[in-house]
Amino acid sequence: MTLVMTGTGDASRLAEGAPVVEALAREPLALPGCVFVQALTEIESGPMCEMLPPALHPTLPPVVGFTVWDAPDSVWGPFRLAQLRIECRSGLRPRGLLVSAVVDQPEAAAGLASRFGFRVTTGEVVLDRGYDATRIRVATAGKAGLFEAVLRAPQRLGESDTQFVSSLHPARMPRGLRLVQVDVDHAVKRAERTRFGIEHFDAAGWGEARIRPSLALPAVVGVADVTLRPIRYVCRPDVLAFEGTEAVDASAA
Amino acid sequence: MKFGIFHELATPRPFTAENERKVLMNALEQVRVADEVGFDTVWAVEHHFLEGYSHSSAPELFLTACAMQTERIRIGHGAVVCVREMNHPIRVAERAATLDLLSGGRLEFGTARSSTWTELGGFEADPDRTKQDWDEFVRAIPGMWTQERFSWQGSCFSMPERAVLPKPLQKPHPPMWVTVTSPGTELDAAERGLGCLGVATASLAEQERRTKEYKRRIQLCDPAGHVNDRVATLNFMYCHEDLAVAAKRGMSFLGTFGLLNSHLLFTREAWPTTAYQSLGGVSAPAASKGGGNPGAAYGVPDGVAIGDPASIVQAIKRWESVGVDQVNFLVNACEILPQEQVLESLRLFAREVMPAFREEGGGRA
Repeated sequence: MTLVMTGTGDASRLAEGAPVVEALAREPLALPGCVFVQALTEIESGPMCEMLPPALHPTLPPVVGFTVWDAPDSVWGPFRLAQLRIECRSGLRPRGLLVSAVVDQPEAAAGLASRFGFRVTTGEVVLDRGYDATRIRVATAGKAGLFEAVLRAPQRLGESDTQFVSSLHPARMPRGLRLVQVDVDHAVKRAERTRFGIEHFDAAGWGEARIRPSLALPAVVGVADVTLRPIRYVCRPDVLAFEGTEAVDASAA
Repeated sequence: MKFGIFHELATPRPFTAENERKVLMNALEQVRVADEVGFDTVWAVEHHFLEGYSHSSAPELFLTACAMQTERIRIGHGAVVCVREMNHPIRVAERAATLDLLSGGRLEFGTARSSTWTELGGFEADPDRTKQDWDEFVRAIPGMWTQERFSWQGSCFSMPERAVLPKPLQKPHPPMWVTVTSPGTELDAAERGLGCLGVATASLAEQERRTKEYKRRIQLCDPAGHVNDRVATLNFMYCHEDLAVAAKRGMSFLGTFGLLNSHLLFTREAWPTTAYQSLGGVSAPAASKGGGNPGAAYGVPDGVAIGDPASIVQAIKRWESVGVDQVNFLVNACEILPQEQVLESLRLFAREVMPAFREEGGGRA
């Protein structure tokens, strides 16, 4: 008797392109005054279980999320990041499995990969904010473009009207392949809901060719003090979270 | 204190006709037993597209079957989704009145607006408008039931003067409720004179706060229809003479239900809006936390009715002490418990637990 849907993907495949993480972040990473975009779209459900490892469960309907940060200030200086996640569940908790990310600044890319397990490449991340629309363009060297979208018709939201969900980043660690749980706090200063339209999406270029967007949902554009918390949990990708969650202590990664 | 059983019709995969029918037939048998042994109400939810978690997409049909197979138990249509894309208010009034007639005046009429994007998105409903729709439904439907001919000009729907038929058996109309998941909805209930139908597990402290505020506010209400000032809460129940057996069996279906619930895609996750201030699900407290330990299992809710009769009496006394008038129980999920165990649990509860409340209350109404 099967009760819940669970990922059926090959967990070891997550290691492809996953960063090596020798020492997880033990200090928070502050990104004050960060312009953020959070945009979700439903996707075709056919491969929803195959795209996730056995540790995770798909949402119904399956959804992926694009996040963009335009961080004017960080320990590495200003940078822009775009990431793609498959929204899912780990145990009872909502999570987003990172597919990959693009960062426009090499030092930030290296730091995000080595401390937080971002599977990241350097490239171009453009966030053009206008009065009535925001345009996003993401590209990596040698590729025509990974993602282009436009966010139209902004409507003001309250500061607490957006739900933010922690990420899981596949990473090769001394203890083995793990999903690094990255908890991100958002102290939202301004937020607007927009109509999200995808103009170009190269699923294979992001690293998961089976993602086919089907219904774009409203996106949020806002400004927040974003803080990536020190890592507290990692999970084995091959078993359910109830069995495979490991608390990160101060002594070892 | 009154007691109900609450059906989501959670169904195990694969979703074969045999499995679907087994869940329905088992639920019907549970209702017949509940009727025989003295439970007060059977509730059935309305949900759509919630694979595994709830296949109760046509509760009015299931409840009609319940009504025709029972003599006494009240029929809780809990709750009809009052959103224009999902139900038309005229059809809701007609169906509910028919069910009240068929059941011999046993209908309890619950209203809701849905908390998942899975459902609202599936009907292409606008989450920003659901509360407005619900408000219009609950103000219009009593008029459809009580006025010979009824007309309405609203923002959700309009109709010229017509006789909405049949009228319900209960006069002036069946008791009305609203499901309460997120804090604040109890005030919406109170302001309209509706019963407060808890469908998410709340802590005792939270329930006490809600109940106190609800009872205070309903005194000042502008009722949508005839006032129903009762407060009901949702609980899980498995009763067995052996506490350890009860805990093992009860926690198995409770955990399964919590896991299934947490996998729903709540509206607030998918659709940024001021209209949904909390996730709204049974597992919302766990799911709404930004981080947290994903290895943590579904917690044991406050005052859960899983145990031997004595411990369950004690648990329910705590709900009674915070002003709850009725406790509705989930008694299984996804057929985790064999049907015989569920039926035995219902019978034992009726035999050993109910008398502790009936005696003080002077018998059943």
